Amino acid sequence: MESVWRFLKSKQGITIIGFLVLVILVVVFYSISPNQTQAVLNSMIRHSTPLILGALCGVMCERSGIINIGIEGHMLLGAFMGYMVNVWTGSLVLAVAASMLTGSLMGLLLAYMSIKLKLDQVIGGTVINILALGLTGYFYTVGLTTSGKIMTFPLGPLADIPLIGPVLFNNGFITYAAIVLVFVLHFFLYRTPWGLRTRAIGEHPEAADTLGINVIRMRYMNVLIGGAIAGLAGGFLTLESVGSFERAMTNGRGFIALAVMIFGNWSPIGAWGAALLFGFATAMQTQLQFMGIDIPHQFVGMLPYVLTIVVVAGLVGRTHPPAAEGKVFEKE
Amino acid sequence: MFKKISVVFAFVMVLSLFLAACGQKNVDCTQEDVLCVGLVTDVGEVDDKSFNQSAWEGVQKAADELGAHVEYIETKDAKDYGTNIGLFAEKGYDVIVTVGFGLGDATREAAATHPDIDFIGVDQFQADTVANVAGLMFPEWKAGFQAGALAGMLTETKLLAGVYGTDLAPAVVAFAEGYEDGARYIDPAIEVITTYHPGGFASGFTDPEWGGATSKQAIEQGADVIFAAGGKTGNGGLIETANYPGVFCIGVDTDQWETVPEAHSCLVSSAMKLIVPGVFDLVKLSSEGAFPAGNYFGTVGLAPFHDFDSSISQEIKDKLAEIEAGLLDDTIKYEDFR
Repeated sequence: MESVWRFLKSKQGITIIGFLVLVILVVVFYSISPNQTQAVLNSMIRHSTPLILGALCGVMCERSGIINIGIEGHMLLGAFMGYMVNVWTGSLVLAVAASMLTGSLMGLLLAYMSIKLKLDQVIGGTVINILALGLTGYFYTVGLTTSGKIMTFPLGPLADIPLIGPVLFNNGFITYAAIVLVFVLHFFLYRTPWGLRTRAIGEHPEAADTLGINVIRMRYMNVLIGGAIAGLAGGFLTLESVGSFERAMTNGRGFIALAVMIFGNWSPIGAWGAALLFGFATAMQTQLQFMGIDIPHQFVGMLPYVLTIVVVAGLVGRTHPPAAEGKVFEKE
Repeated sequence: MFKKISVVFAFVMVLSLFLAACGQKNVDCTQEDVLCVGLVTDVGEVDDKSFNQSAWEGVQKAADELGAHVEYIETKDAKDYGTNIGLFAEKGYDVIVTVGFGLGDATREAAATHPDIDFIGVDQFQADTVANVAGLMFPEWKAGFQAGALAGMLTETKLLAGVYGTDLAPAVVAFAEGYEDGARYIDPAIEVITTYHPGGFASGFTDPEWGGATSKQAIEQGADVIFAAGGKTGNGGLIETANYPGVFCIGVDTDQWETVPEAHSCLVSSAMKLIVPGVFDLVKLSSEGAFPAGNYFGTVGLAPFHDFDSSISQEIKDKLAEIEAGLLDDTIKYEDFR
């Protein structure tokens, strides 16, 4: 009995209880109003996709010691280039590749500024954000049309499961990719030598260096991969969800992704949970308006941010940023 | 090392200068015989396929027909409203057009310091009259009412949805209320769900992804006509709705058939504000010395049905014409509904 109680109070215990409560709530709501529940959960997945991709970029960069404030910029340029390649070639495969490539090029710029030039990383990221806003604003011309966007494809019989099927298994390619990436990155980060090295150079690069890890190369590589993931987030906006580009259309999602990353304690699965929470709050905010309920919907929209502050302030749980993030690494 | 940083920064700065310095012409606006018209956009661009663009077209019409020298400034951040207006005022422009409710306060402040310049505030309601400010207003409620009536006659599920920019803009709320009232005028049993973007002026009109996701959420709950009013946010809603066969969408401000081709498969009409002639008329009146201070009302109406023209019955068209006439002679009026 004692040990059961201790398990329930532990971190895993709380997570499992929380998860069960959520499942029960969803089932209850689903039995009352299936259409609404499904629509809200669909909306949650959709809102969370760019956030989790952005947050994964943040995890990749910060775990290896580079603060990436420029996720917004990666996303916006990725969204733009993906869109333009879709306009020019009509090939969605090339377009997705272009948005990822653009994201990683921006990652390269950030890595160059912060590793080679030893520029303050926050300033480096800000430069990227401003650059992205300016470049896309200038080069975007109105009136372009594409031949189409990425359509949803149901995953066979999985999509026929009530509620779970339409929500999880009837999405576009990038949404699937985002969910798969969460688990792949989580596995790589905690179960492979590459992950151990990545975490090491983010915590104590000098020690890692002494043990023969090429800190600079690893940082370049990780920021490049992270940039590609953020570029994919941009691609999601222009190639899968909206299907068209508008200036400044990322609208701060790159910054919210940072909050998601922190809320998720710099781990991919944690960040996914946080992204779903943020997505759910946005969907609920809309749903409350649908239902004509008179509590100010802004409060619901505010909730995840308040929670983030609570978590960061250390009131509930603790977050552990990588110890060496933002610090310049000088090889001895 | 420091040198390298400098090189990178120099490059970035030169680039931004390059981008900023496009389209400068030297005209002396302080001279009596030169008519200079400046336009300051709301946060967004002059080619936003919507509000800013229509106002700018009105100004360009003044350039063509009155030989005016015209320029625009795109506002990048809501805190720059005053600064941007000041740029034109200092150069001695004769007429300054400010686009959007958000610029209302900044416009009136500038009007107080520059009594010799005429200000046209698109969508800016004037609670009291200032001699050199004209607020170009549109009865959005009437435009929304016509859209709602059309939607009410098209719907089969008896559930409509409106996806809007921020509710901080009275014009947006007027559209939304008109849409609800118009639908219920056709059939009181029709339900209308109304959603405003939570982001305020900063992002309420520039978030197509939110507009798209919200429209989807509404359609999945059975809404079958979507009225999307809110700049790019609304455009996102229109494009999203085009994915669902059998669901109609209605655009706003301009004839969005021309501006959002992606939405052709659902776009049945648009609740138009005729901004172009409104702005032009005011500029013309200013140049003739007959500037009407206070509120100046432009006209609204539904855009053509385009591809849907043949599928909309004569009965519906007659009813819409009857409603339009009723709105004009005030037999249908706001006070009866609210």
